[in-house]
Amino acid sequence: METRICSFFLGAMLISASNLAFAQADNRASVQNVIEPDLKRRDINESSIDTEDFEIGVFAGVISIEDFSSSSLVGAQLTYHINEDFFVEASYGQATAGETSFELLSGGAPFLTEDEREYSFYDLSLGYNLNGEVFLSSDWIFNSATYFTLGAGSTEFGGDNRFTVSVGAGYRLLLTDYFAVHVGVKDHIFNSEIIGEEKTTHNIEYGLGATFFF
Amino acid sequence: MDSMAKWIALIGLVLMYSTANAEAQFPEVQVVEPYIDMRTGPAVGYPIFHVAEKGEWISILKRRTSWFKVRTEKGKEGWVSLDNLRLTVSSAGEPVQIEDGSFSSYQNRDFELGASGGSLEGVPSLSIYGAWVVTENLAAEVSYSQALGDFSENQFGLLSVTHTTFPEWRLSPYFRLGFGQIKTKPRANLVQSGEETRTNDLLVGGIGVRYYLAQNFVVKFEYQNLLALTERDENEELEEWKLGFAVFF
Repeated sequence: METRICSFFLGAMLISASNLAFAQADNRASVQNVIEPDLKRRDINESSIDTEDFEIGVFAGVISIEDFSSSSLVGAQLTYHINEDFFVEASYGQATAGETSFELLSGGAPFLTEDEREYSFYDLSLGYNLNGEVFLSSDWIFNSATYFTLGAGSTEFGGDNRFTVSVGAGYRLLLTDYFAVHVGVKDHIFNSEIIGEEKTTHNIEYGLGATFFF
Repeated sequence: MDSMAKWIALIGLVLMYSTANAEAQFPEVQVVEPYIDMRTGPAVGYPIFHVAEKGEWISILKRRTSWFKVRTEKGKEGWVSLDNLRLTVSSAGEPVQIEDGSFSSYQNRDFELGASGGSLEGVPSLSIYGAWVVTENLAAEVSYSQALGDFSENQFGLLSVTHTTFPEWRLSPYFRLGFGQIKTKPRANLVQSGEETRTNDLLVGGIGVRYYLAQNFVVKFEYQNLLALTERDENEELEEWKLGFAVFF
């Protein structure tokens, strides 16, 4: 009788143990399945990484053309980011100059023809970023940069191209990783003899822009 | 009850698999150092807000200059520096190798884009150029320049071949031969005195030095002698000095 009871318990224990072991093995298999599905990792290859060092965009604003009042301005720019601090930028803009105070007051003959009033410029600049962040609220945090540029180019105005130095400062707010809005000021400095003696003119541009990184 | 749990597990598994597949379009690397820093932006001044731990897999979403936007398995996104990314390994356990422009990549470059500024016969000149590097010595180049003087404006386009004599040197001399066209336009106030815009063929010879700076940047300094083939008795010889900067790909 005792041996019978013993063997019964032994048998029961064996069965439950094997069941347990089976259940555990089953469990482990499913746990492994959940945690480590047979993923195929895609290995890194330089050419497969999307590089976004270029920035292209348009801007619009106002340019105050020395002696010729202020005009609206539109333009485009292309930027190459060399590293986190420096960038090079090519920009082009155009405006139509207004009239001088003299032309307005005297009502006499205009200084410039319609064609000569077309004002356009290009410049190549080197820029420097002061990187930062803006906290609009705890959920709205944007990267930004205040930047300074120094460049050279050409301005076509009054029928001539003039060598132009440009000095600028701006602010770039990155709304996403690849879309940014800009606000900036740039002084275009060139020598002009349009209204008489040659002098150095300062033509200050205020602009708002939107750019994409690609 | 049990079968329901299995079904849920199965559906979960399928979902995980499909999202994993959707993300598999980004390359992944595994962290092997104790941790790597993740910053809020692509520059060294941005704060570290998270660390990816040892053993964690991270996906590389994009690159800007020498910073990489990554996503951890838990969905945290941040920027990792190139130096930090080099502390990760691929699925085969190999250290990640990403070139950040090196002298050897400079020697194997295909294209160059650059700009320069200088002086043409004493007036400021600006140029842009693109070059196709055919062999380690020879390159074909297209350039456009504008020189703005008090009396006239010169614009010229050139097609030239350059020969870099010692491509294995960081600082190497090079020579240029080319041809093109030059347009000389008198200033508006001189047009009234009878000057006209002229276009002439142009021959160019040049000598310069180029220096591999760092990453993918080159600095060049060059002297060019330009010969404008005029219709007058004498051809016009122009001299230009310029200092330039280029990026290569």
